[in-house]
Amino acid sequence: MAWHDVAPEGDFLEEIPKVVQVGEDRVAVFRLDDGFYAISDVCTHEYALLSEGFCEDGKVECPLHQACFDIRTGKVLNEPAEIDVETYPTRVEGGVVQFQL
Amino acid sequence: MRTVIVGAGQAGRRTAELLRGLDAGHDILLLGEEAEPPYDRPPLSKEILLGEEHPRGLMQRDAEAYDAQRIALRLGERVAGIDLGAARVETNAGERIAYDSLVVATGARARNLPIPGADDRRVLTLRSMADARALRARLRPGLRLAVAGAGLIGLEVAAAAIQLGCAVTVLEMGERAMARCVPEAISTRIEAWHRAAGVVLEFGCPLTAIRPESDALHLVTSRGVIAADLLLVAIGAIPNSELAREAGIAVEDGILADASGRTSHPQVFAAGEVARIWQEAAGRHIRFETWQVAQHQPVAVANALCGAQRPYAELPWHWTDQYGRNVQILGAHGAGLDWLEREDGERLASLGVDAEGRVQGAVLIDNGREATPLRRIIAAGRPIERDRLLDPSVALRQLC
Ligand SMILES: Cc1cc2nc3c(=O)[nH]c(=O)nc-3n(C[C@H](O)[C@H](O)[C@H](O)COP(=O)(O)OP(=O)(O)OC[C@H]3O[C@@H](n4cnc5c(N)ncnc54)[C@H](O)[C@@H]3O)c2cc1C
Ligand code: FES
Repeated sequence: MAWHDVAPEGDFLEEIPKVVQVGEDRVAVFRLDDGFYAISDVCTHEYALLSEGFCEDGKVECPLHQACFDIRTGKVLNEPAEIDVETYPTRVEGGVVQFQL
Repeated sequence: MRTVIVGAGQAGRRTAELLRGLDAGHDILLLGEEAEPPYDRPPLSKEILLGEEHPRGLMQRDAEAYDAQRIALRLGERVAGIDLGAARVETNAGERIAYDSLVVATGARARNLPIPGADDRRVLTLRSMADARALRARLRPGLRLAVAGAGLIGLEVAAAAIQLGCAVTVLEMGERAMARCVPEAISTRIEAWHRAAGVVLEFGCPLTAIRPESDALHLVTSRGVIAADLLLVAIGAIPNSELAREAGIAVEDGILADASGRTSHPQVFAAGEVARIWQEAAGRHIRFETWQVAQHQPVAVANALCGAQRPYAELPWHWTDQYGRNVQILGAHGAGLDWLEREDGERLASLGVDAEGRVQGAVLIDNGREATPLRRIIAAGRPIERDRLLDPSVALRQLC
C-alpha cells in the first residue's frame, strides 16, 4: 500500500473527478462538500468509466446504463450494477490530495 | 396472496424481485418458456456475438438465487392459456395453476420476413440467447452475411460481424439507418462508421424473395440478386400478446395497460415490452421496445400488486453500442424538430428543439453524462434560447 498524489487541493472542481491510473487500477477522486473521496473508476455492471458519468449530491451515475454509486461509501444504489465499487482512503498532504492503494 | 408471472425474461424477473422486496409474505411463481434463467437481452447483439461468454450485463442469476429470494422459478414451461373466470393458467403440459393476481410479461418475438424462401435454415432472427449462440457459431471470417433491416439490432449485428471478419451487406427498405429513432444527421454519422468498417449499406432496397440454392441464398432485391451464406432478419418485433387476447383481455398491438400495468381485467397485469401503457403526458397508450421499460415499469406493477400507486411515467430512453461507440436516445421524437448539435471532441449531444424552443428529445454519442441533465431539461418543457443551448461554455446541467 502506498499513497498516490492526485493534484493540488485547489485544482479540484466540484462534480468533476480527477483520475489516476495505478497499475491495473483506475481511481477517480472526487471533491465533495465535506472532503475528498476516492473510488474505483470502473462501473461494476459492464464496462464504463464512472468519471465520465453525471455526478450530484455525493452520487455518481454510470454514463452507460445509469447505475448510481454513493461516492463516500462506494455502495451501489440501483440496478443494473449490483456490486459496490472499491473505495480508497484519502488525505491532503502539503496541499496535495492523495489516496492510498 | 399468490402471484403468477408468465414470462421469465427481464420484466418477469424484475416484477418477481421487486414484489419480494415489497412483500415478504407473497407467494411468487415465475414461469418461463426458455430453458435459461431470466437475462437481459442487450448483450445478445453485442458482447455475446463478439465472444464474451458471460457478460455481467446479462444480469443472469442462477436457480439458487431465486430459491434464496423464495421465488419459485419454473423454466422450459410455456403457458398455453389463461382462464380468467377460474383465475388459473394452464401450461403446455396441461397443468392448471391458480392465481390471485397474474402478470403477463411475455415480451415480444422477432418479426419474420413474409416472403418466399424465408423458412430456409440459413435465414435467422435474433431474440434469445439460443438465437445469439446459433448466430455466433456461424459468424466466421469470410462468411457472406446479409442483414435485412438497418435498425438497432441489424446494425449491431453488422458491426459485430464485420469485426469478426465477415463480409456484411445491410439491406434496408427505408432511406437511412435507424430512421425510426434518430434524426438524419445521426443516421449519417452511424452510416459512416459502418462504411468505414467495410459494411455495404443498401438503402431503398427491399428484399422481395429468397432463392435458397445449395451454394448460397440468392436474395432478390430491387437492386438485383445478392448472394449470401447467411441472412439475419432484423425487421422489428411483435408483442407476444396472443395469450392475453385469447383470454379476452383488451389487446391492441400489445396488452392495453394503465400506468400501473393494470389490464382490462382487474386481476391481470402486463409488464415490460408486451404492454401498451397509458402515458398521461402523451394522452395515449404507447408500447416501448426498450430495456428501460422492462427494468422500470415493473416497479409500477409490483407496487400495484401490493395496493400502492407508483404509475409509470418515464421519459423514453434507449441505447445502442456499435464499434465501441455508445448512442443514447432520449424522448420520443417525431418529425418537425430542429436538431442542434453540441460537439465536444468525440462527445456529441444532438438536441431536438420544437418551434417554441423547447427541447423535446436528444441523441447522445459517447456522452452519457448529459443524459440526466437533458432528461430534466425535456421534463421541464421550458423554451431555452438557441444561443445558450449551443454555447459550449454553458453546461447542460446549468440549463435544467
Ligand atoms: C438482441 C437484442 C438487443 C437489444 N438491445 C437493446 C439495447 O441495447 N438497449 C435497449 O434499450 N433495449 C435493447 N433491447 C430490447 C430489450 O431487451 C427488450 O425490450 C426487453 O428484453 C424486454 O423485456 P421483457 O421482459 O418485456 O421481454 P423478454 O425479455 O422477451 O421476456 C419475455 C419472456 O417470456 C417468455 N414467454 C413468452 N410467451 C410465453 C408463454 N406463453 N409462456 C411462458 N413464457 C413465455 C419468452 O420466452 C421470454 O423469455 C434488445 C433486444 C434484443 C432482442
Ligand atoms: S456499465 Fe455501468 S450501468 Fe452498465
